[in-house]
Amino acid sequence: MPKLRTVAVVAGAALLARRAMRRRIQASPLWPMPALEEPVSGRPRSRSLRLLVTSREEVAEGVVRLRLEGRELPGWEPGAHLDLVLPSGLVRQYSLCGDPEDTSSYTVATRLVPDGRGGSREVHEQVREGMELEVRGPRNRFPLVRAESYVFVAGGIGITPVLPMLRALPDDVEWRLVYCGRGRASMPFVEDVEKLGRDRVTVVEGLPDLDALLAGVPEGAAVYCCGPEGLMAAVQERFPSVHLERFTPRASGGDAFEVELRRSGRTLTVTADSTVLAAVRAELPDTLYSCEQGFCGTCQQRVLEGEVDHRDELLTDAERGDSMLICVSRARGERLVLDM
Amino acid sequence: MSNTQDRVPLKARKVSFSWDDTPLHWVPGDPFTTHTINVLHLLLPAGERWFVHVYKQVLPYIRDERLREDVIGFIGQEAMHSQAHDEVLPHLREQGLDPTPYTAQVDWLFEKLLGDRTLPPGRPRRWWLMERVALIAAIEHYTAFLGDWVLNAGELDRRGADPTMLDLLRWHGAEEVEHRSVAFELFTHVDGSYRRRVRTWATAFTALVFLWQRGARFFMENDPTLIDGKATFKDFYVRGRRGTLPATGDMLRSIPRYLSRAYHPSQEGSTEQAVAYLASSPAALAAETAEKSAKGAV
Repeated sequence: MPKLRTVAVVAGAALLARRAMRRRIQASPLWPMPALEEPVSGRPRSRSLRLLVTSREEVAEGVVRLRLEGRELPGWEPGAHLDLVLPSGLVRQYSLCGDPEDTSSYTVATRLVPDGRGGSREVHEQVREGMELEVRGPRNRFPLVRAESYVFVAGGIGITPVLPMLRALPDDVEWRLVYCGRGRASMPFVEDVEKLGRDRVTVVEGLPDLDALLAGVPEGAAVYCCGPEGLMAAVQERFPSVHLERFTPRASGGDAFEVELRRSGRTLTVTADSTVLAAVRAELPDTLYSCEQGFCGTCQQRVLEGEVDHRDELLTDAERGDSMLICVSRARGERLVLDM
Repeated sequence: MSNTQDRVPLKARKVSFSWDDTPLHWVPGDPFTTHTINVLHLLLPAGERWFVHVYKQVLPYIRDERLREDVIGFIGQEAMHSQAHDEVLPHLREQGLDPTPYTAQVDWLFEKLLGDRTLPPGRPRRWWLMERVALIAAIEHYTAFLGDWVLNAGELDRRGADPTMLDLLRWHGAEEVEHRSVAFELFTHVDGSYRRRVRTWATAFTALVFLWQRGARFFMENDPTLIDGKATFKDFYVRGRRGTLPATGDMLRSIPRYLSRAYHPSQEGSTEQAVAYLASSPAALAAETAEKSAKGAV
């Protein structure tokens, strides 16, 4: 009976194939699917952490340093900042000024601005030792680039991101620091920076004479500046390629600015109480969006020019380099160019 | 076509979960149930990111304003689901069960195999887009089925399953039930071919069964607390009878329903139940309070 023989042969072949496959799977259980070399899932973006305030001390007049402790905290590079969620729900950014090697605590320092927007007052008046604070990040938009030599200009509390940078620089690298403030008593960490190299640090009380202090900065030196708006503008005037760290306002509104939509060739104005998304949707009703609160990521758009004040909670540093969530984020300057 | 009494405006809820207190076997004493449900955390982050990616491309084809709004709400909800499940993965890793070998393959499946292909514009490109839209409709049939199941799985509570994990599953399940009609309505709106529906159902069903049993075996074999952990169909069947996993019979009965020409997702599950759960879910409530206080601060 040829039919029976065919059945037997097919059944035998099936059994053999099954056995071969079992062996193959046993040897490597994840066979036969290919995998992505750089997996995307399971690498969450910015997780928020609850950290314990273990110390709060006044390190200079009107400057408070907080130490926040946790376990196995995410690492950071000098220049990074942390988002602090204050008890009232306000979110403020503070530069990390501790030791990047320390994975059990973060250190931040804040100056009291009595007539500010309330963030620093809340830290000074309400945050106490033993309290838990929610933090997000750390993120870095002020990274230390590789250069032959470095010049740092810090004003007052602007020393905080610079301090870990100075500590991270290798011994054989040329650097100098101009640290200015109203008076030594109100300048945080002034002794710490002087310890790092007295001949390299110039402490100025009062207004600095930038032309004299920054004379002879070599070509190819990386210039970093963090401090009050006037100081940063003065440094930028002399060194257009300076790296700046601004303490930007992050209230819900902001200043009005212009947005150019390059692909559709339109320019719109975003008013102080409006959002980029609202302005864009008036022109391009098909624009995608969903949550309108900066967490779902649907409205992400590519930024071609202009500096962004990121107010979302989703994008990674790499993504922030060239894109923004238009439902909440705004321009830091007067103009943005989007690829739309 | 659309079912008006059941319609609720869809919006993303900004939930967050803390996994610090969730044990590895969050259904006490039942690693098989735990890991079979854990497979969700392997498939959903990449899968729901892919939903969002495909739906962003299909939006220009929508000619109905209300459906468009629903799809936008759907996109936001799916983006949140993907993020919420993604955050469980590091927790598994901390407990000694590294999911990366498996999730890297799922990432490959959704980003490469089912991703955008270099196709000539016009018909081929449209064909591939419609095929994926139909696949999503078929998958959403099962997410709604599972969502409805988990909302009613009282046996998990009786066995003392971890409340945070149950809240994640039920918040997600309730939103799946809430938006269960969107994917199917979108598919009928832009294409709706019955042959495509059957074909993509067969693909989606096979792929789901394949990925799920593989994920469950992967977890059981790699669980650091189990010696020679195995996952078998019998385990699944037994737990289906017990009520800690969906019953095999219910799953089989849902197949002809999707393939019926009279199918509409509004016949499955109950929107009232889903909305009621969302009104009491700890995570969804926290999200609502946070949103209100953010608006109050403005």
